[in-house]
Amino acid sequence: MTDLTLAALLPALESRFGPDVKVLPSRKEVLGVVQVKVDRLVEVARFLHDQGTFTHCALVSGVDWIEHIEVLYHLWSDALKGYLEITVETAPEDPHVPSVTSIWRGANWHERETWDMLGVRFDGHPDLRRVLMPEGYRFHPLRKSFELHEPEELEVKARHV
Amino acid sequence: MNATNTSGTARIITHVKETDPMEPEVPFAEVEAVQSKEYIPVIKETLTGMIQRGLDAATKPVFNWAGRNSLFPLHWGLACCAIEFAAGFGARWDGERFGVVPRSSPRQCDLLIVNGTVTWKLSHKLITLWEQMPEPKWAIAMGNCATGGGPFRTAYSVVPGVNKLIPVDVYIAGCPPRPEAMLDGILRLERLIRERRA
Ligand code: SF4
Repeated sequence: MTDLTLAALLPALESRFGPDVKVLPSRKEVLGVVQVKVDRLVEVARFLHDQGTFTHCALVSGVDWIEHIEVLYHLWSDALKGYLEITVETAPEDPHVPSVTSIWRGANWHERETWDMLGVRFDGHPDLRRVLMPEGYRFHPLRKSFELHEPEELEVKARHV
Repeated sequence: MNATNTSGTARIITHVKETDPMEPEVPFAEVEAVQSKEYIPVIKETLTGMIQRGLDAATKPVFNWAGRNSLFPLHWGLACCAIEFAAGFGARWDGERFGVVPRSSPRQCDLLIVNGTVTWKLSHKLITLWEQMPEPKWAIAMGNCATGGGPFRTAYSVVPGVNKLIPVDVYIAGCPPRPEAMLDGILRLERLIRERRA
């Protein structure tokens, strides 16, 4: 299959993956926003990489919406000169998302940072360690359930683990 | 006294003292010590201790004078305060006129100026550098961040004061402190060393 243009891309996604993808209203900064079911994420990513010219995973991040945790992927296409935004939702307690490092190697550290800050486990990630916080730190500080501790209390907790 | 272990070989415990509860033990021990000339090392130790203390009393002021006039800080910039640290050793403020020369290896340093924000991730490295420095050594917390966490005191990633990790002798306030304040802190440390208070 040849590279898809933008006009053909989103309908192709919808026709291929059916109800597992949902094209959300877009913003002017991105080409489109697509919501994907967690278990189809790797397939969709593979499709976008191989046939959609999205060769660069620019950003992986997340938002804690309390009812669910949303993981965002910003993909860059050189041919289309724009970003496509993919979002997946997971459960807030013990969130698991398949890793896309097998498709974009550059997603490695982004996923590590998302694990560090939000506690999202990326299944299949080659080396899921913390990036910004020291190993043994117990919290995921960008979660809404994280309370800003008094420094002394945090110090005790962070130093003795 | 004999004891037999499971493999069948006998294990003999020698040197079992036959003690008479009625008889005090101390006199025998003293007699044994005199007979075996055990007092000789004691006398030697006392003598060498006296000589050492005498030498210390004679050389300590010299080392104190030499040390306080050539404080070598570690050339280690952490955050914005490091810019003031660098300016303090530039042409304008010229910290070297006080014998303060930044060195690049902790092995050559006796002063650790913590000039910036220390995060929990960095704290292990800070302690490693501090432990690599030879004694005698001193530490200065420069700026509000190193003193107490500064503007990031309640942040999840910042150590609220470097005195949680290493012993600090002098605190310099300011965000950032001016190079004069840094030099003043170093001179204060020199005074503390002269008065043997640091
Ligand atoms: S005290 Fe102020 S100037 Fe110094 S490192 Fe902290 S934020 Fe930067």
